Amino acid sequence: MSVESVAQVIASGLLMGLIYALIAAGLSLIFGLMDIVNFAHGEFLMTAMYLTFGLNLLLTLDPLALLPVVAALMFLLGVVIYRTVIRRAMQARTSVWMAQIFVTFGLAIMMRGLAQLIFTPEYRSIRHHWLSDRSVDLLGVYLSLPQLAAAGVCLLGFLGLYLLIARTDFGRALEATREDKEAVALVGINRDLIFALGWGIGGAAVGIAGVMLASFYYIYPGVGANFALVAFITVALGGFGSLGGALLGGIIIGLVEAITAMLVEPSLKSIGIYAVYMLVVLLRPRGLFGYL
Amino acid sequence: MMRKLSAWLSAYIAAIVFVFCAAAPASAAETEVVIGAIYPLSGQAAQVGVDARVAMETAVDIINNSYDLDLPLARTAGLPNLGGAKIRLVWADHQADPQKGRAEAERLITQDKVAALVGTYYSSVAAVVGQVADRYNVPFVVVDSSSPSLTRQGFKWLFRISPHDEMMSTAMFEFLKDLNATKHIDVRSVALFHEDTLFGTDSSNAQLKLATEAGIKVAADVKYRANSPSLTSEVETLKVANADVLMPTSYVNDAILLVKTMSELGYHPQAIIAQDAGYTEPSFLSAVGEMANGIISRGSFSLDLASKRPAVKIVNEMYKKRSGKDLTENTAKELMGLLVLADAIDRAGSTKNEAIRAALEKTDLPGDKTILPWRGVKFDATGQNILATPIMVQFIDGQWRTIWPFGVASHDVVWPMGGK
Repeated sequence: MSVESVAQVIASGLLMGLIYALIAAGLSLIFGLMDIVNFAHGEFLMTAMYLTFGLNLLLTLDPLALLPVVAALMFLLGVVIYRTVIRRAMQARTSVWMAQIFVTFGLAIMMRGLAQLIFTPEYRSIRHHWLSDRSVDLLGVYLSLPQLAAAGVCLLGFLGLYLLIARTDFGRALEATREDKEAVALVGINRDLIFALGWGIGGAAVGIAGVMLASFYYIYPGVGANFALVAFITVALGGFGSLGGALLGGIIIGLVEAITAMLVEPSLKSIGIYAVYMLVVLLRPRGLFGYL
Repeated sequence: MMRKLSAWLSAYIAAIVFVFCAAAPASAAETEVVIGAIYPLSGQAAQVGVDARVAMETAVDIINNSYDLDLPLARTAGLPNLGGAKIRLVWADHQADPQKGRAEAERLITQDKVAALVGTYYSSVAAVVGQVADRYNVPFVVVDSSSPSLTRQGFKWLFRISPHDEMMSTAMFEFLKDLNATKHIDVRSVALFHEDTLFGTDSSNAQLKLATEAGIKVAADVKYRANSPSLTSEVETLKVANADVLMPTSYVNDAILLVKTMSELGYHPQAIIAQDAGYTEPSFLSAVGEMANGIISRGSFSLDLASKRPAVKIVNEMYKKRSGKDLTENTAKELMGLLVLADAIDRAGSTKNEAIRAALEKTDLPGDKTILPWRGVKFDATGQNILATPIMVQFIDGQWRTIWPFGVASHDVVWPMGGK
């Protein structure tokens, strides 16, 4: 095995890891804020990919140019889902936990079914854009341009989320709400609004991930499932509710997956991921940066 | 307000139920033969199931109405030996999951009382449906699942009309031998790349054996996980192995990702010889665009066949009118498979299971009464159609062309396939 192919596998693993991290960011944010695991997260991703595909077809704009549009639409979707579905489920008198699990699970199945109804189960992909199917050759290591761009957007996205949470009043209100959901009402923070905005930002984050993913991956109604499980593991590995943890978790998973595929056998590559996850759970059940 | 609404709603539902009940006796009479079709109608291979449905509904149209085509049951309306009985299909969704396939097969047999089953695209699902069919003694016609092991498990009620992957892989290696003999293209090494369910595993086992027999080096044998988010490490392994020819076995989503990743990593073998499936799906071709140029696939259908089998053109038009797409390898086999089954039921003159099985065993359909390039349809003791002769096709200038056997080729093979 040459140095180049090892470097290639590590570089590709790193790029993929940053994409996993970006997908997991929204999931982690919503969980941290209100202890809800959104099982429809993969379907949010799928919706964003179809939005990108549809708008690209309709407006013939490059996916990168569509980034703010899709992010805004997904923000809206997040808020609407919170206001209509999640808030109602949270009012359940008994087994609130179960109600939340089942409602997001049901939402996932419904969104997938709707997508198949509207878009047919055909595999789609965005063929022509600035970066499509191009790659740069760095001393024998090929890096795909769409994936490089996705990794860059991921780092920018995490920076933006960090600044939003650490440096703004809204961020402080978000942190306070996550610390003590009851007490914030006493100091005049509108908890309901914070939750809605949290879902909106979570939706926008996964929307950004969807745009970047759509520029190089195929799109179909069940595409979310290919990434949702990895996103859950990423969040659990990094620590529920920790953005830094999601970033590091994604990178670890991307690298472990690529290296397992190279060294052991490609069909067993998810075993590497779960082995690392099990190890983390055994040694540190709350995840690397979990606050729980 | 709510009460009024719910009153309207229940009246509406009652009306619908009434209409259905009233309509039911007419269609449930003995003038129809019910066949159960098991396909993936949701999940990752849903498009295959949706296309299969259109193909088989086209076949039902050909059987139930009269058309001037040289195909079984085309010129008559319905099944003449059953008093003109019509064929009706009941659809079940296996979602690419063998367990769901088993449950659906049982439902079709016990509740819908189907006379026979057809399906299932996924070989892994066909294997369990074969078990169910044997337990309930119901004929099961496999039209598009290609694992060799399906006809080697001693199933008594399973019949397969299409060639299996070992016949196909044998054809691939004969093609390589012919290339060397007539065109002096000497392939010394191949790399196998296959998905991790029954389809991929069986295909690679056959290819491994055949390559060894042919004295061709297997430079890499990569078994990958289906539906992976990334195939970079896998393609890097293939690239390092640097074989003359890549032989992939994949369903459509992985096929898209493989070809895109190959292009990104700058891996260009002399040729790709694919085990059909994902590589001949229209959605694969539209997703990868010009990257598909030059891909060779085993096959048993190509539209250029129309020059030898006039029915191909007309049937293709009928299918296209419903789906907006041309017939493919899979949809052609699905359509033909139902015609073969219906023909057997007609010859049986009854919907009794033993009678249908006996008629299927006696099937002897000449090739020119099919829409496929086969010598015909005739089953051996294991239920395998022994007259299904494979061809090799290549994607050239936006079309699948027959390139082998050289005698029936409509285009010269393009080698190497090119690429940046």
